Amino acid sequence: MFGFLKGLGVTISQLPKKKVTLMYPDEKPEWPERFRGVHRFIPELCTVCNQCARICPTSCISLSGARDENRKLRIETYDINSDICILCSLCTEVCPTEAILMSDTFENASYVRDDLYLDMHWLYNNELEYERRHPDRAIPETDVQKKAGD
Amino acid sequence: MALTDETDVVRTEEMLLNVGPQHPSTHGVFRMVVKISGETILEAEPVIGYLHRGTEKLAENLQYTQIIPYTDRLDYVSAMLNNYSLVHTVEEALGIAIPDRAEYIRVITMELNRLASHLIFFGTYLLDLGAMTPFLYAFEEREKIIDMFNELCGARITFNYMRIGGVKYDTPPGWLEQVDAFVKRMKGEMVKYRNLVTGNEIFLARVRGVGKYTTEQALGHGMSGINLRCTGYNWDLRKKKPYSIYDRFDWEVPLGKNGDCWDRYILHMEEMEQSLRIVEQALQQIQPGPVLAKVPKLIRVPAGEYYSGIEGTRGELGFYIVSDGKDKPYRLKIRRPSFENLQILPIILKGVPVGDMVAILGSIDPVLGEVGA
Repeated sequence: MFGFLKGLGVTISQLPKKKVTLMYPDEKPEWPERFRGVHRFIPELCTVCNQCARICPTSCISLSGARDENRKLRIETYDINSDICILCSLCTEVCPTEAILMSDTFENASYVRDDLYLDMHWLYNNELEYERRHPDRAIPETDVQKKAGD
Repeated sequence: MALTDETDVVRTEEMLLNVGPQHPSTHGVFRMVVKISGETILEAEPVIGYLHRGTEKLAENLQYTQIIPYTDRLDYVSAMLNNYSLVHTVEEALGIAIPDRAEYIRVITMELNRLASHLIFFGTYLLDLGAMTPFLYAFEEREKIIDMFNELCGARITFNYMRIGGVKYDTPPGWLEQVDAFVKRMKGEMVKYRNLVTGNEIFLARVRGVGKYTTEQALGHGMSGINLRCTGYNWDLRKKKPYSIYDRFDWEVPLGKNGDCWDRYILHMEEMEQSLRIVEQALQQIQPGPVLAKVPKLIRVPAGEYYSGIEGTRGELGFYIVSDGKDKPYRLKIRRPSFENLQILPIILKGVPVGDMVAILGSIDPVLGEVGA
């Protein structure tokens, strides 16, 4: 009988405590800076090095590029099949110019599978959205800048 | 017609009962075909493989770094330990020295993850036995650990945090203080859990002496972890084959005596306290420094066979790599503790009442992602 009463004591002691549940669709969670949501992409920075497509464990990234009038490689198409993407963030880790990054967009459920094929346009828009939401967040240092710093 | 015997009145015959595959008490997609006579189980046959994704085969076509996110999805309630087990095996094979700070961060995250996993056991086990409240308390604290991991590595469940040669990121500013505050708070919570559940008479009646097995039986079925230690056999790889920096901390291996559900429950609670002790000491000893050793960009494991096991939350978690010198393993075999631990189920379920079935299954604490792999 004593064990019961002890348990009841714990329950009663919890009554004045504050609620901890987040009422999700009405209240949105605040995600930390490192949060790995759906990608964002900055086309001007991409050097078409293909490293992201090669490191991807599920091969969900496909891209193509062409040389412009200055013989510089420019990205033409960049598609992520977020249907099979596992958000492991290995692509952002290998990107030397930080052209591909993770955002805090996470609600991408859809009734149609086609919506899950994210093209360059969608990804760039996601980047603009992200910048609008978090104007205070710094642009990460690229590998090239890091080497120059050393 | 005169009735001669009581059995003539109540006609009983054996019945085949399907538990699962989708049943709240099976902790995932797991099916048991149970033959019952009245209230007693005559035979139980576990049917596994509903969550089979072919991780071992997939790994043969992936580079070692690319396998890390797949290990997250094996035992999805303690992904840090899965991450560590793989990178540890590769590091042993390559003979890489890991920076001190990386080792400390690894130990802190692994022990916090063990704590989170045991909190899930505590919550869901009591939920299986019909107590709703402890589940809510357990998940409140687990949520705090998960949020800290989210801040550290950007994901709540599938961390993908360990790398061959260290960890992905250093801790963000203020993170270690946050862990310190959590550990202090968690100590008080442990007292609360004990007051709430451990002395409860109904709970004691449900678990004492239920689902017993001996050390010989456990060893014969390849059990490890708490499921082996509850029989009184002292086997913890953190002490017996020290890896990482576990030899720098002062902690004990809690042991059971009878090998019943009660022992398994109480060992989970005691292990949580030991994990807190380890984290507390690690927080005092950690020093600033690099978190990633210098490793080649393309990791090629020299030809040969390598195995290393660590003490996972559920037992010995090991990765066996057969390499032919390329950047991808020739064959990867994963020793999944839940899979081995489940094998004893048909033996301990024989002859027990149906009501105890869920109590026994829950106390073995399987994670079906790991069983199916």
